[in-house]
Amino acid sequence: MKPAPTLSPAFLEPAGQQLPAPLLALRKQRGTALADMPLPTRKTENWKYSSRYLQMNEALATGLRPEGKAGPALAVDGYHVVFRNGVIVPEASVYPDTAGIEIKSFSELSDTEATDLAERLDNTLDSNAVQLARLNSARFEDGLLVRLKPDAVLDQPLFIVCETDASHSGSAYPRIYVDAGRHSKITLVEEYISTGGEPAMVNAVTEFTLAEGAQVTSVRLSLDGENVQHIGATGARLKASSRFESHTVGFGGPLRRHDLQVRLEEPGAECKLNGVVVTQGKQHYDNHTTIEHVAPHCNSEETYRNIAADQSHIIFNGRIHIHQDAQKSNANMSNKNLLLSNGAEIDTKPELEIYADDVKCAHGATVGQLNEDSIFYLVSRGIGRREATTLLSMAFINELIEQIPVALVRETSQARLNEFIDRTFVEV
Amino acid sequence: MANTDKQVNELIKREYEHGFVTEIEADTFEPGLNEEVIRRLSAIKNEPEFMLEWRLKAFRKWLEMDEPEWAHVHYPKIDYQSISYYSAPKRPEDMPQSLDEVDPELLRTYEKLGIPLHERAALAGVAVDAVFDSVSVATTFKEPLAKAGVIFCSISEAVQEHPELIKKYLGSVVPAGDNFYAGLNAATFSDGTFVYVPKGVRCPMELSTYFRINAANTGQFERTLIIAEAGSYVSYLEGCTAPMRDENQLHAAVVELVAMDDAQIKYSTVQNWYPGDENGKGGIYNFVTKRGAAIGKNSKISWTQVETGSAITWKYPSCILRGENSVGEFYSVALTNNYQQADTGTKMIHLGKNTSSTIISKGISAGHSSNAYRGLVKFGPGAEGARNFTQCDSLLIGDRSAAHTFPYIESKNKGAILEHEATTSKVSDEQMFLCRQRGIDPEQAVSMIVNGFCKEVFKELPMEFAVEAGKLLEVSLEGSVG
Repeated sequence: MKPAPTLSPAFLEPAGQQLPAPLLALRKQRGTALADMPLPTRKTENWKYSSRYLQMNEALATGLRPEGKAGPALAVDGYHVVFRNGVIVPEASVYPDTAGIEIKSFSELSDTEATDLAERLDNTLDSNAVQLARLNSARFEDGLLVRLKPDAVLDQPLFIVCETDASHSGSAYPRIYVDAGRHSKITLVEEYISTGGEPAMVNAVTEFTLAEGAQVTSVRLSLDGENVQHIGATGARLKASSRFESHTVGFGGPLRRHDLQVRLEEPGAECKLNGVVVTQGKQHYDNHTTIEHVAPHCNSEETYRNIAADQSHIIFNGRIHIHQDAQKSNANMSNKNLLLSNGAEIDTKPELEIYADDVKCAHGATVGQLNEDSIFYLVSRGIGRREATTLLSMAFINELIEQIPVALVRETSQARLNEFIDRTFVEV
Repeated sequence: MANTDKQVNELIKREYEHGFVTEIEADTFEPGLNEEVIRRLSAIKNEPEFMLEWRLKAFRKWLEMDEPEWAHVHYPKIDYQSISYYSAPKRPEDMPQSLDEVDPELLRTYEKLGIPLHERAALAGVAVDAVFDSVSVATTFKEPLAKAGVIFCSISEAVQEHPELIKKYLGSVVPAGDNFYAGLNAATFSDGTFVYVPKGVRCPMELSTYFRINAANTGQFERTLIIAEAGSYVSYLEGCTAPMRDENQLHAAVVELVAMDDAQIKYSTVQNWYPGDENGKGGIYNFVTKRGAAIGKNSKISWTQVETGSAITWKYPSCILRGENSVGEFYSVALTNNYQQADTGTKMIHLGKNTSSTIISKGISAGHSSNAYRGLVKFGPGAEGARNFTQCDSLLIGDRSAAHTFPYIESKNKGAILEHEATTSKVSDEQMFLCRQRGIDPEQAVSMIVNGFCKEVFKELPMEFAVEAGKLLEVSLEGSVG
C-alpha cells in the first residue's frame, strides 16, 4: 500500500510575528504537532466523500498578505470587524462601545491576557475530528477575542467579515474566540467572502464558551468564490442553562467543509443548529456536525436542508453522542435533501451514539425530489410548473432561513437563494 | 419490590441453557493455516482440482488483506494461526444415508436444543440439512425435493455432483477478495448448504439448517449458496445455538443468494450463538458476510433475522438490486445483553430501475452491552424511480447499555426517493405503569413491551420461527429489568 501523502512542511511556516509571545509559542507548538500529518484520503472516515476535492499544494501554503484596501463596501451599518486575509483591519471596523463587552485583536493582547487565551484556544474542538482545522492554530496571524462580562448584552448583531483577497495564490487563517460570561447575550454573524481569482484556501476557526445562562447566536454565511477552498470549524462548550443557536448558510465551491461541534456540559444547556446548503455546477459542500450530550437534562435540535443541482455534491454527517449518565437527554435531528439532477450526489449519515438509557433521540433523513403531489396541487390551481417547482424549492429552505434572527443575513441569503433556484430551474 | 428484585437476580444468573458439549470423537486438524492445511482440507473432502485452486487463490489474497477495524466493537486481536480449520465427526467415509443411521448422540444433541429433527421434519414439513460442526450429517426430505427438481444438499456434495453450478455461482455474489472474513471463509470453508431451485418451481417446503459449533477451538466456516432460477420461490431458515465455552470461537460464514427473473428468496435466521457469560467471558465471534444478488427483473430477496447470541456480531446481510423492479427487504431484531457487542445492519445497493427496499431494524440493548446499526443505502445513477424506506429503532434497558446508529445514505439519482428515520428510547415509565397497574409483573411487562417493539419483524418470520424467536427474546432478556 502506498503511504498516504502528508502535509507539506511549507504549510507549517507561519508568516507574521505580530502576536504576543504566548500565542507565538502556542502556534509553534501546534505546528510541531502537525509535522508529517497524513492528509485525509478516501479511507479517512470523516473525509470519505471529500478527500478527492481537497487540494493542498505548496502554492496554497503561502500566507496571503493583508495588503490593499478593504474590499467591496458592505451594507452593514452596525458593529463590524473586518478580517482581511486573516488579519484584522481596525480602520475598516466599527467596534461596539457597550459596557461589559471587550473586543480586541489578538495582536493587542497583553501577555497575561495572551497566556490565558493560549490555554483556552482549541479546547472546544476535538482534535481527532478536525485535523485540518488544526492547521489554523499553527498558522493564525491575528484573531478576534470577544469577551462578555456577566449580564452584558450586545444590543445589535456583531458582524465579522472575513475577506480573502485571492489576487495571489495562498491561504488565510482567520480566528475568532468568544467568551460569553454568565447570563450574557450576543449575536455574531460571520461572513466569508473573497475577491481575486487565484486558487486560495481559507481555514477559519471560531470558538465559543458559554457560561451559565449565556445566550449566543452564531450565524455563518459562506460566500467565498469559486477559486477558494474553505475549511472551517466551529466549536462551542455550554455550561448550565446556556443556549447556543447556530445558523449556517452555505453556497458551494471547489471544496467547502464545515465542522460544527457542540458540547452540552452542564444540565439545562441546549442548542439549536440549523443549516442550509445549495450547490450547482461541480461544486462541493461538506457539513460535519457533532453534538455531545455530556450532562443530563440537555436538549438539542438540529435541522439541515440541502439542495444539489447539476454535477454538484453535498455531504451531511450529523452525529449525536449521548454520554453515559446524560439521562433525560432530548435530541432531534432532521436532514432533508433535494437532488435536482442525475449528475448530482448527496451523501448523508445521521449518526446516533448513545450510552444512557433514559433519553429521547430521533433522527430522520430524506433524499429525493419535490413531491409530485405538491407540484400538482399548485399546477392545478393555475400556477405554472416552473413557478411551482421554484416556489416549493424555496419553501423547502426558506423555513430555515426565516429563523435567522438577523434581517440583513436573511435578506442577503434569500436573494442569493432565489437567484440560485431561478438559474437551476431554467429548463424545467 | 424486594421480591421482584430477588426474582430478577435469579433470572440474571440463569445460564445459557444450550451450553453443553456433545462428546463425539472429532477428527480435528492441528491449529494453524497455510497452503498445506488447505490442500489437506480439500483432499479430505475429495474436491476437484478447480475447488482447490479457488481456495488457494482466495488464501493468497487473504494473506494481503487487513482485518477490518471500523466496526464499533472491541476485542483482543485474533490469532488466526491458533485456530484449527477442520473438525468433522468421525467416520466421514460412511456418512449416514437416513436418520436411522445418524449417530444417536448427535440426535440427542439436537433434541436438547429443542429441535427434534425428524419430528420437525415430518410434522412441520421441514427438511433439515443439519450442519454438525463442519460436515453435514443428516439430510431429510431429499426425495420430495428431488421430485420437484430442487437440489438441497451440503455444499461439499454439490461440489462433487454439480460442479458446473458451483463453478458458475460460488463467489459470484461474495467474491473471495470481498473482505477479510469472506476471504478466510473462501480459503477454508468446510461445509455448508447448497440450494438450487429450478425455473418456475415453488419449493414445496421450507428448507432449514441448524448450525452448531461443537469441537472446542474450531472455527466453523460454512458457506451457503442459494440459487433461485426464473420464477421460482424458496424460503430458507437458518438457526443456531452453540455449546458453552470459555474460549472465544470464531465463526466466519458466507451466504450467497442469487435470484433470477421473478424469483423470490426468503432467508430467515434465528441466531443464538453462545454470547459469553454475565462477565463477558467467552462467547462466539460471529463475523459473517451475507449478500444476495437480485439479478433478474421483478426478483425479490428478503432477509429476516433475530439475533440474540454471539459475544460479538459483525454482520450486514445485503441486497444488490440489479434487476429492474427488484425488491430487497431487511427485517432485523438484534438483542444484546451483559457484555455482548453487535455491529449489524444491511446494505441496499440500488442499481436497477424502480428497485425498492425496506429496512426495519430493531435493536435492543440491555446490561453493559453495545448494539449498533450500521447500514448503507445507495442509489446508483441508473436507479431511476428507486425507493427506500428505513426505520431503525433502538430500545435501551439499563443505564449501562449503549445503542448506536450509523446509517450511510448515498444518492446519485434524482428520481430516487429515500426516507430514513431512527429513534432511541427506553421502555417508558408510562408503558410500565400501565402494565403494572393491571397486575402484570415487571419482568413480564418488559417482555410484552419488547415483543410489541419487535412485532413488525416477527410477523415476517415463518410461523415456527416466530414462536421460537419470541421465546428466545424472553429468555435472553431475563434478568435485565431492574
